[in-house]
Amino acid sequence: MFDLSSRSAKIVFFAALAVIGFFLFFPLYWLVISSLKANAELYQVVPTPFPTVPSLEHFIRALTTGKLPMYLMNSLITSTCSAALVTLLALYAGFSFAKYRYIGRQPVMLFMLSAQMFPFGLLLISIYPLMSELNLLDTRPGLILSYIVFALPVSTYMLYSYFSQVPDELIDAARADGASDLRIFHTIVIPISIPPIVTVFLYSFMWSWNDLLYSMTLIVSEDKRTIGPGLLLTYLNEVNSDWGGAMAASLIASAPIVAAFMFLQRYFIQGVTAGAVK
Amino acid sequence: MAVIENNLEAYPVSPHANRGGLKAGQSRMGLLLLLPAAIAFSAVILYPFLSALGLSLFEFTVEMMEPRYIGFENFAKIASDPDVWAAFWTTAIYVTLTTLGTLVAGLGWALIMNQPFAGRGVLRSLSLLPWVLPSTVSAFVWGWIFNARYGVLNAFLMELGLIDFPQAWLSTPQGAMLAVVLTKVWLSIPLFMSFFLAGLQNLDKEQIDAARVDGAGNFAVLRDHILPHLRPVLIIVVVLGVIGNLQQFDTVYALTGGGPVRATTVLSVEVYRRAFEQWDIGYASAVGVLWVASLLPPAFLYLRMLVKGN
Repeated sequence: MFDLSSRSAKIVFFAALAVIGFFLFFPLYWLVISSLKANAELYQVVPTPFPTVPSLEHFIRALTTGKLPMYLMNSLITSTCSAALVTLLALYAGFSFAKYRYIGRQPVMLFMLSAQMFPFGLLLISIYPLMSELNLLDTRPGLILSYIVFALPVSTYMLYSYFSQVPDELIDAARADGASDLRIFHTIVIPISIPPIVTVFLYSFMWSWNDLLYSMTLIVSEDKRTIGPGLLLTYLNEVNSDWGGAMAASLIASAPIVAAFMFLQRYFIQGVTAGAVK
Repeated sequence: MAVIENNLEAYPVSPHANRGGLKAGQSRMGLLLLLPAAIAFSAVILYPFLSALGLSLFEFTVEMMEPRYIGFENFAKIASDPDVWAAFWTTAIYVTLTTLGTLVAGLGWALIMNQPFAGRGVLRSLSLLPWVLPSTVSAFVWGWIFNARYGVLNAFLMELGLIDFPQAWLSTPQGAMLAVVLTKVWLSIPLFMSFFLAGLQNLDKEQIDAARVDGAGNFAVLRDHILPHLRPVLIIVVVLGVIGNLQQFDTVYALTGGGPVRATTVLSVEVYRRAFEQWDIGYASAVGVLWVASLLPPAFLYLRMLVKGN
């Protein structure tokens, strides 16, 4: 793209690389490094650039004495259920938008998408009494249902734009064979759509896994608390701030989502940027 | 998987088959497939939204059993409420700084990551990480960097001689704003970069080569070819960025709680506090309605682009 044969071009290029790269990666480096420092080394006014005596004490403490494993399990349950629910709903809606023509199709689709501009915080004001009325306040099903808010619109759009590219001929041919619409969808369309389905699942999983606001508000009991508020309340509260524990617990809480993401990032990026780039 | 013959003529047509394909007159099936999502959407998005709009016309506080209709009184109260105005102003600053910051850094990083060099693939993958971290984690990381006593930022700036003694960043209005803005910029760069990289993929390289033969330098190529090519992506990224930044809650709340005093109380924090700390539901809804109003222009632009895209 750029011609870096000249010296000055090289300098500008690598200087920009160094500055933005430092901004992006230093916090990650510092997160890892700090989690490995024992308290004596962690709380120094002039910090050491890397741990002189690496220590796993924060990790061991996070996994054995705290409630972190419970928070992780709670997050895993709510995020998996809500991602599965969103994916299922978005699958049929996306297919409907892509392959059927009916009155109001485009307005409904655009309206669903425009729901992105309804602030999650505002929706929560009414979701709270709604969940309370349904006796779902402070329950996992209540949180799972509420999490639909984050990802359903975009997920539907991502699957819609994928299904629009599935050739009509493929479907017509199966129809001519006498297969029902649902059968066509289940046995022909879904098997060739695994990458976008996985993307949507991961996308909505990520939203739920990373949430703080909804979980903090809709869940009161500690035994159902997820990692977002769990981390915040455990490690940095009015009484104490345990930064070493916070860093170690952060890494543990990030590990599953980072692993899944790294494995699937190519599909994921295609899915998220779909529609924006022609 | 069975091989599927694309040629319709290869199949004997059953007398019941609809030759028109799925598109023709099948509105019932289409609506049926849409139904589950439509119900879910109505229950957790549409109904709460309309209900919040309605609640903005009611007085409903924690002592009250039933909401009481008061017309536009909440809005009249907001008009003379300096705290709400301050929250709008804070949000404007926050959104402007985060969007601009991410735009510059995200575009810069995408251009760098588009250049072939050894180790690029690994760097590109790693640079997506801030995006996927839980928001509490991002807040922890930056809170620790900005820590008044043991923060690496203070140590770094003192080493460089830029400050003489440690600063309590998160206790000053500007320092706290800087921290919440940097956190948001940091975690949005990957998304912006992904959009720009996707846009750069179908850049016409021959055109650029031809411009180079004509003597165009790097800057001229950037200005005359790359940036004009990225214009549509640029617009969508800015619009999505503004929508996202206007809504940002988690990192701000976890990092500063909206403080010191109210220095980083953006609208999301303001509405949350009014609703779930003071339980002044009607008033919180009214502030929220104005918040939605501020989201309308970017949302409108976004929708228009989607319609065009279809």
